[in-house]
Amino acid sequence: MPPDIANLTFDEALAELQRTVAELEAGGGPLEASIAGYERGVALHERCAVLLADAELRVRRLVERAGGALEAVELRSDDEALPDGQG
Amino acid sequence: MSRRDPPSARPGGDEPPDWALPSWDALPEDEPAPRATRPVPATETSEALIRPRPGLIPDQFRPAILGVTEVTHVIRDAVRADERLRDVWVEGEVGRVTISSAGHAYFTLKDERSQLSCIWFRDDRLVSPFEPRTGLRVVAHGRIDVFDQQGVYQLYVSSVQPAGFGDLALRFEELKARLAAEGLFDAARKRPLPLRPAVIAVATSASGAVWHDIRHVLERRWPLAEVVLAACQVQGEPAPTSIVAALARIARYAEGCVAAGRPADAPVVTILARGGGSLEDLWSFNDERVVRAIVAHPLPLVCAVGHETDVTLADFAADVRAPTPSAAAEIVVPDRVQVAAGLAAEAQRLTGVAQRTVSAARRELDAERRALDGLRPADRLAQARERAGVLLDRATRTVLEQLGMARAAEQRAEARLRPIVAIRLGAAHASLDAGAAALAVLGPQATLDRGYAIVRRSDDGRILRRADDARAGVMLTIRLAAGELGATSDGPLEPG
Repeated sequence: MPPDIANLTFDEALAELQRTVAELEAGGGPLEASIAGYERGVALHERCAVLLADAELRVRRLVERAGGALEAVELRSDDEALPDGQG
Repeated sequence: MSRRDPPSARPGGDEPPDWALPSWDALPEDEPAPRATRPVPATETSEALIRPRPGLIPDQFRPAILGVTEVTHVIRDAVRADERLRDVWVEGEVGRVTISSAGHAYFTLKDERSQLSCIWFRDDRLVSPFEPRTGLRVVAHGRIDVFDQQGVYQLYVSSVQPAGFGDLALRFEELKARLAAEGLFDAARKRPLPLRPAVIAVATSASGAVWHDIRHVLERRWPLAEVVLAACQVQGEPAPTSIVAALARIARYAEGCVAAGRPADAPVVTILARGGGSLEDLWSFNDERVVRAIVAHPLPLVCAVGHETDVTLADFAADVRAPTPSAAAEIVVPDRVQVAAGLAAEAQRLTGVAQRTVSAARRELDAERRALDGLRPADRLAQARERAGVLLDRATRTVLEQLGMARAAEQRAEARLRPIVAIRLGAAHASLDAGAAALAVLGPQATLDRGYAIVRRSDDGRILRRADDARAGVMLTIRLAAGELGATSDGPLEPG
């Protein structure tokens, strides 16, 4: 069972789309399989296009916790003034 | 030019020509202009007193008396002939600086015992980023020449740099040579950058314009990414340690993500960046510790320090050198618009292959219909069916099943494809309707080849379908895959 397309990253979806197209172009499979492949290809393409159109850059900052553990903390405001060399 | 006019500049026509401006400290302001040492002959008599009468003393014993200009030219020629004076670097402290209204700078260079007057012409001075000021230690480059009208020698300056620059430059070259010899700058150890990084680490100052610029470029070009800042100081004495620590944090974080089973969160490329600044500001990026941290960094690293013309050892050590921090961000990610275009091309290929698949299926059906058309008129078809008879039923069923499957698949396909690809399958369906009749194409021979036989009554040629069609004694003709047999019926074995 192929993974749910909605959970694929852009790279995963694009890689599978390229693979699918290559397989379809090679031909040889039964019509039924070709159609299923095409259908999945269309969904993969849509997934990629949506990711491209709707993506928002995630911005985080590495912060060092007591004991040396590192955490990437979400940054929102565009121009947060933060001291350098900490965290 | 007015920006550099000395406060003492006299207004308007009072101003002396450039060459007459005081140009060195030692000359007291009130001292009269140097006089020609040779008395000016006022009369024939005084001339006669000084000059020996020709003929009285042989020429070779006469003292050689030269004109001022001649002496000056002798000195000038001697100065110009000395290669050491043609291309000199002179280090010293800047004395008083005067800038004429024409924009030329006059100053002296001093050390404990001597001083040297210098002139720096406007064109050279204006392109220099550095301006000599009284009290600064500088290194001036130029040539020594003699200025006839004032009878002075001076340094004609081509460039001026702060003293100590030479030390820095020397240290830079020495370290560069040493690290290069270790192979730290080898092209062979440069790693390729990932194509579409999901997580990008940035080591820079959190408060500067650089971090802001990098974020905005990433936002515009490839917002699918995540950017993780490891803030560090990028100038001053603590900067090298801070940069090294930031790179180490990035490495440790990436490792931690993988170890925690979240490899997708781990940064896959690092940008090390700093905005423009003076040579001293950028010096942290020539620090050996920073260079070694870059080389040891586990992720491919793009370095962008200062402006395009600034080159640091960090740039040499990095996997990729970007001319500016914004350019580093552009190098690291693809452009969303271009990727979208590539994606559209992929969709085009997908649609193309679907269209070809469907039209190939349609062509097969069309071929069958054409074959069927070839079998008309109907009586020929009927005759053929009659000949094939019951033995074809089986084949008919089989092929009908196959056709039915293909047809069902096409119907499903069309339902799926309709919204996206406008393919009309109507024609294919029409030919499918005639699909049953197309079986005649197969003819009886194929069935006979598989070991079946066709049995007819010899008298009227009717094909036998029921046992009681041939009571005992009826003459039969049996058609085999090759040839026919004559036979006589023994009658039905069981009553039909």
